[in-house]
Amino acid sequence: MPSYPCPYCAAPFGSFEALKAHVVAEHGAEPLPKPHGLIALIVNGERHEQTVEPNTTLYTLIHDRMGLTGVKMFCDRGACGSCTVIMDGRPVLSCMTLAIECDGKTIETIEGVAAAKHPLIETYVKHHCMQCGYCTPGFVVTAKALLDRNPDPTEEEIREALSGNLCRCGTYPQHPRAVSEAATLLKGRTP
Amino acid sequence: MKKDDRGKIIAPEHTVRADKYPLDDYTAVGRRVRRKDGYEKASGYAVYTSDIQIPGMLYQRILACPYPNAVIRTIDTTGAEALPGVRAVLRWDDPELPPKADMSGHFGQAGQPHEPVLDRCGYWQGMPMGVAVAADTEEIAGEALKLVGIEWEARAFNLDPVEALKPGAPLTNPESYPEGNFILPFMHEKKVTHGDPDKGFREAEQTIEFGMRRDQDTWVGPERPCGVFRWNGEYPEVWLKHQRPHLAKRQLAQFFKLGVSQVTVHCPYQGGSFGGWSQMALNMQPNIIAGILSKRTGRPVKWQFSRREDFCGAGMDNARYRVNVGFKHNGEITALHATSWFTREGLSHTDHFVENSKVINIIQESNGAICNIFTGWAIRCEQNMNCYCFSAVMNHVAEALKMDPTELALINDGCEGHAMADIAEWKRKRGFKNRDSLRECIEAGKKAMDWDAKWHLPGTGKLPSGRMHGLGMSWAHEWGDSGGSAAIGIRIERDDGTARVLGLRCDNGVCAETAYCQIAADELGFRYEDVQYRPFEEAGFTPMTPDSSTNLVVNGWAIRNAARQLRQKVLEVATSPRITERPEMGYVPPFEGYKPEDLDIKESKVFVRKDPSKSITMAELVRPSFFMGKMDVGSTEPLFAWGWQNQQGAYDINGPPGPRPIFVRQAHFVEVEVDPETGGIEVTRVTNANDVGKAVNPDAVEGQQYGGSVMGVSRVRTEEVVYCPATGVVLNGNLIDYKINTMLDCGPIDTIIVETGMGYGPYGSVGIGEDVASVVPFAFYAAVHNAIGTWVDLPATPDKVLKALGKVQEER
Repeated sequence: MPSYPCPYCAAPFGSFEALKAHVVAEHGAEPLPKPHGLIALIVNGERHEQTVEPNTTLYTLIHDRMGLTGVKMFCDRGACGSCTVIMDGRPVLSCMTLAIECDGKTIETIEGVAAAKHPLIETYVKHHCMQCGYCTPGFVVTAKALLDRNPDPTEEEIREALSGNLCRCGTYPQHPRAVSEAATLLKGRTP
Repeated sequence: MKKDDRGKIIAPEHTVRADKYPLDDYTAVGRRVRRKDGYEKASGYAVYTSDIQIPGMLYQRILACPYPNAVIRTIDTTGAEALPGVRAVLRWDDPELPPKADMSGHFGQAGQPHEPVLDRCGYWQGMPMGVAVAADTEEIAGEALKLVGIEWEARAFNLDPVEALKPGAPLTNPESYPEGNFILPFMHEKKVTHGDPDKGFREAEQTIEFGMRRDQDTWVGPERPCGVFRWNGEYPEVWLKHQRPHLAKRQLAQFFKLGVSQVTVHCPYQGGSFGGWSQMALNMQPNIIAGILSKRTGRPVKWQFSRREDFCGAGMDNARYRVNVGFKHNGEITALHATSWFTREGLSHTDHFVENSKVINIIQESNGAICNIFTGWAIRCEQNMNCYCFSAVMNHVAEALKMDPTELALINDGCEGHAMADIAEWKRKRGFKNRDSLRECIEAGKKAMDWDAKWHLPGTGKLPSGRMHGLGMSWAHEWGDSGGSAAIGIRIERDDGTARVLGLRCDNGVCAETAYCQIAADELGFRYEDVQYRPFEEAGFTPMTPDSSTNLVVNGWAIRNAARQLRQKVLEVATSPRITERPEMGYVPPFEGYKPEDLDIKESKVFVRKDPSKSITMAELVRPSFFMGKMDVGSTEPLFAWGWQNQQGAYDINGPPGPRPIFVRQAHFVEVEVDPETGGIEVTRVTNANDVGKAVNPDAVEGQQYGGSVMGVSRVRTEEVVYCPATGVVLNGNLIDYKINTMLDCGPIDTIIVETGMGYGPYGSVGIGEDVASVVPFAFYAAVHNAIGTWVDLPATPDKVLKALGKVQEER
């Protein structure tokens, strides 16, 4: 838990928002400018405040610092989709996104998708949509973003949506079945 | 116990005959079950080496050689050492580094050359060499390498094997190969002759000669090569991405002068290796360096190649060929003379004719040349040159005769010079049924592809869209196994009687741990859900090349052997009282008065065969691990067994024939449309028909068919490592410019599983992990020819297709 000491009285606070409220209430001063590099974001429903360097990527923040290792680095330059997370409802490549730009954003990672018991997880298991599994979380997250905005995708739409995700093991033919079945389950139907 | 019953249990699985004791029925083997690793991988909870983080960890980077052939003349590391955050620098001239060390964690000392840990010389652009840095962050380590002052001597280089063998060519590696650039093929002599080629050519009614070439592709493992090294006092603890972590452990122990038992190795899930990195020499280099730097700094050291640095090795199929074939008008091939020119490590190219056809009069000549390009090693398989040559010969002969290649295949199918029809007795003697595997595969594949309606002579398939239509077929045997040993244990959990399979994890994704559990469940009589794989990270029991390749046929025997012994032990414990001087150590069996053979186990319950109502669950049999206050009821002894398999390799030095003829086949069909304006090739359908003998896990088999098709098409359609001819620098070392196929790049894939039971693995199985990706490429090769009527070298990129169509001129 980061500590934010008051510059007037040195009282410690657990968040920047709490410090601001204290400065206004107790010292009658204007809220402090935000410390350099401080961002606040919601990850899988939890609020986080983090201080990041200008070159820190969202991937590094999520994978290395938060320990949410489901996000994976395959190509290291935005070509493979393995590092995909959902930001404010859109799939984004976390290796190509600077953490400093994520202030105020809402992020959903594969761990959040799994914790919510999204049917994609079990349909991916059922249809063997993985071999080594390294790229699989990126596919699931991309598919989840697709179903969020298009609950009834055609096979062509699924293939199109997932075409930015690379799988070297070549599991491609199995994904559309899993996504279609998850869509059916989400609508409360029996696949 | 009768002798035969004993035989069923210990099952000394012979590697040259059919399974003598298959099961009567299967409840888990052959069924579609929930894969054991599925949830972990789908949910992101599966941990890979690249995910490992340890407090205080440093990051290691190694210099990549900027030239294809160069020597460090002087080196100045003071700038790097002074950079804040740099904790240690290791130079090639460090006194702790021996002049040579064994750095191949795959074959060890036997197979590959010893090399300096940090070479003063670089032999291909990008080779890790010269100097390594450990720093607080990866970025600082990278910056430090830029501050190393090096005076280079850049030398002339070779990129092409034909040119490298010409008189006056520069030396590719003057330090190790001062006499010239020639090298022998891996495991083969320069010239190998089978039968009587002169006689075969005299008997030929027609001969053809052709050339072909295949350029270099690479593995692109999703998880880049990586490792973590930490010293726990005197002894190291290492996290590896490696296909044979037990061999890597041996080499780390050897380098650091430790006992193997003093080295702790973890091998988490692996993000795809496909052979590749794990097999090339140098793969232990970063781990050894990390060990040295970790010891010096007292901190854990992690290394991970960048994607660009992962472009450091390539397939063994980068070669040029000149082929003469003699054949009769009925399609029977009578003689073959095939010469190859390959770069660095290459394998033979005519073995499949001996293993897989009745062609017996063969000359194989191999001209290997070390070049200043990536080292070649097996990617998916070391059979790629064989597959290419075999498929090319079959399809070129079919073209010359205007014959359907599926007919030509059946005419030439055979084994070690004999026609299939003539070796029924071979099958019978080995305990197999006499089934025609290739015919079954071809007929099933043709039906799925609607081949008879669609096939046409090359260059005649014009579509209404203006595109050119093509169909191609390639075939091979299923090379189901390789030599090696496997050991696996199984123990019964004390409290609930479930089983845990104990073996080293080396998961590359072929669903092997699930297949092991299926075999164990059926052999024990347990429910599949009651068997779990427990990876022995610390390299305890070591399955053969754990998990991947085609080694289920070796590991399957080991697990079956363990399960049968354990089952017998369970039945003995269920019927045998243990009487000791201390009553509390005694044990009254639940089936007192019965003999083990009176009982059976099904659905994880032990019961009396003649009266199944007398049954208990495994949990009731084993009882709790700690029973406060009621020791008189006793508990069973620990229930544990181990099995192993020592398997003679299918291959012999200088190729086949090996110890066992191979009867199972696979056939692959590819349909393409070629755009004559752009040269683009669309793969509209792939059909795989694989005789896997017995599919232990059908989902896994289909997974290999899907994956092998996607990778197989990709590696000959778009994949090529491009070197600048002027500088020798790799121009496309990233996944934007080196294009592997996406979901939109391959049409529908049919998966047909044929089960003739003619494999040498348990239940008649063979492996499939290597095959499809190695054979499908050449169905694509044939399909492109069938479409445009001209042969196109591989990869068949649009520029080559346009040149073949005469739309653009060859560069001069």
